[in-house]
Amino acid sequence: MTTISTSTSAFYERSTMDLASLRAEAEKLQASLSSGQRLTRSSDDPVAASRMRQLSRADSLSTIDTANAARAAGDLQLTDGALATFAEYVTRVKELATQAANGTLTDAQRAGIGQEISAIRDNVIQLANARDSAGGALFGGQSAGDAYSVQPGGVARYDGTASAADLPLGDGQSVSPALTGPQFLNFSANGTPTDLMAAMKLLGDALQAGGAGAQAAAQDGIAAMNAGIDAITTAQTVVGSRLSWLDLTAERRSDLGELRSSEENEVGGTDIASTVARLQQTMTVLEASQASFVKLANLSLFSLLN
Amino acid sequence: MASDLLSIGRSGALAARVALDVTAQNIANASSEGYVRRSVRLEEVSSSGGIGTIGDISLSGVRLDRVVRNADLFRQAEVRRTGADAARADAEVAGLENIEVAVEQSRVYDAMVKFEGSLQQLVGDPTSSSLRANVIEDARTMVGTFNIAASALDSVGTGLRFEAGDAVSQTNTLAQELARVNLRLARAADATSDQTALLDQRDSLLQQLSAFADVSTAISPADGTVEVRLGGASGEKLVSGGAAYQLGMTTAGNGTITFDVAGVAVAPAGGSLAGKALALVKLADVHLKLDQVANAMASAVNAAQAAGVSLGGTAGAAVFGGSTATGFTAAGLTLSLTDGAGIAAAKAGEPAGSRDASNLNALRGALAAADPTGRMDGLLFDISGTVAGRKVTRDALQTIAGNARVSLAAQAGVDLDGEAANLIRFQQAFQASGKVMQTAKDIFDTLLAIR
Repeated sequence: MTTISTSTSAFYERSTMDLASLRAEAEKLQASLSSGQRLTRSSDDPVAASRMRQLSRADSLSTIDTANAARAAGDLQLTDGALATFAEYVTRVKELATQAANGTLTDAQRAGIGQEISAIRDNVIQLANARDSAGGALFGGQSAGDAYSVQPGGVARYDGTASAADLPLGDGQSVSPALTGPQFLNFSANGTPTDLMAAMKLLGDALQAGGAGAQAAAQDGIAAMNAGIDAITTAQTVVGSRLSWLDLTAERRSDLGELRSSEENEVGGTDIASTVARLQQTMTVLEASQASFVKLANLSLFSLLN
Repeated sequence: MASDLLSIGRSGALAARVALDVTAQNIANASSEGYVRRSVRLEEVSSSGGIGTIGDISLSGVRLDRVVRNADLFRQAEVRRTGADAARADAEVAGLENIEVAVEQSRVYDAMVKFEGSLQQLVGDPTSSSLRANVIEDARTMVGTFNIAASALDSVGTGLRFEAGDAVSQTNTLAQELARVNLRLARAADATSDQTALLDQRDSLLQQLSAFADVSTAISPADGTVEVRLGGASGEKLVSGGAAYQLGMTTAGNGTITFDVAGVAVAPAGGSLAGKALALVKLADVHLKLDQVANAMASAVNAAQAAGVSLGGTAGAAVFGGSTATGFTAAGLTLSLTDGAGIAAAKAGEPAGSRDASNLNALRGALAAADPTGRMDGLLFDISGTVAGRKVTRDALQTIAGNARVSLAAQAGVDLDGEAANLIRFQQAFQASGKVMQTAKDIFDTLLAIR
């Protein structure tokens, strides 16, 4: 016959161990429910914790990408607006040049038209020196000062850098948030390279000077303004496609963000239903253990012996 | 005929009294730590016939042979061995958890991500003074978190070494106590209550000792004295007879600890001393890796910074200071650039106020290549993975140790129900012996009544 020997202290020690471990389990489940997080510290699940860190890093960098994209979109919209104004000015100058090309006009009338063209040119130079959302020259690339400066003799000179900086949009994508002046103000008219300001100056000066060459200069001016309109329209297309590229990357970013947050929830969040069920199960077992412990602890031979 | 009914009854009553006393002692000590259940062994007193008295009946009742101590040496050794393992794992996990908290709660990783983010944001507008100030402030926060992590690790190390020092002095106290018990055991008479109490004390001291280090014991069968060796059967003698040898602790330059007994090096494999030594080794490793992360971050930023020009058009100055001969350390890292304008976003040769961000992009590229943030994640993963793994080991060892303790308690502990039954049994035996004496008196009276 085998006898199972048990001593009072062994009974208490065993019961304490069992009850304590059940209680610890219930408390852990409760903590996970109340915080909504499965992980209270990295060592609960090192792999999941590392994944959570990487996800939150991607999240925080993506927020900055969003800010950068918004800044790029703002600058591109400013560029778009400026380009539309440029186009209006060029159209107006073309109208004036067409009037001046009319052979019935007197020199005085042509000089008046030439003055208006010169005034428009001043506006064009000011517009070319427009500022972006950060206060830098919108069409000056990366230069610190203005994009164009007026030299003695009235010639407008480009002072900016050759290209504008690219702005990163995350995932290795980037966008150039602005155009430089020469990218849309330089064109070639009547076979020679020139820029809008120079062409307007040439036209305005010739009309104000009057004389025999004025009508021919007006004819050349019409051709130059046509080329100018072409250059500006091309630039508008470029800006439009960049804006739609920004929209695309924004969509992609928000998709990725959704993926990340659903993965974060999956990796680090509490599954409420199963956790509550497990908590209930643990509580039931704990209650039963406590009840049976009290019953067994009360069961002493001493209370029965009289 | 050499029997005496009255004296037989008296011896029976005396034996029952002793048994009742032992039972009462058991009940009183039912929850005493280290108390081993006693039982009495009784022996019949009788003699065989001598010359001329062959065939005689010679009954003299009962006597107390010895008080038996129901200790199982194997189970006690198991409790000590598994207890030492559990104590080692417990101490190691506690130390490792503190290391994990020190690195994780200092939020170095989050600060590094923020610094990265503010650099990325600066690309959007390299001349913005507010974005530049943001970079400097995030760098300041990052330097602060590195310093906090380093000092938190240092204080974990100080705490661990303090506890280890305390454990060493407690081990020495226990060893001296054991030596004294050994001396008294050598003089105690066999099977007396004095000896059993001393044996209880010996076993309890051994069990306490095993919480600090793994001890191997050799118990003398002659007098119950114990020889204790620290660090396995081939370890150094800690207690031998009445002599206790001094356990010492030495701290190395990197904060790890080693032990010696009377000058001879020992390496305990169990107990809290071993656990703390292991945790300190991991701590030194983590500290080194944290320094490497800080060094990778600071040297990448400083090198890229030197290649560009600041907003004022001057050559970029170092962002981080506190470099030593072996590079930057997490504890010594400082922020030497405090003006946001000093960030060298533009490449060399650019004029003052340039919006060029190519050097800033080079800096970000250098950071991405050195990837200190990824290495920090790796370090956190390393620590937390170690903690998670050791926790599993600890839980297993604690279960084993708990079972060993329960099994010893089941064998050596007091069962109150059993004692209640014994109480009744010995009470009845006492009453029966009393009845025997009553009968002897009646017989004597009968004889006297003959006229």
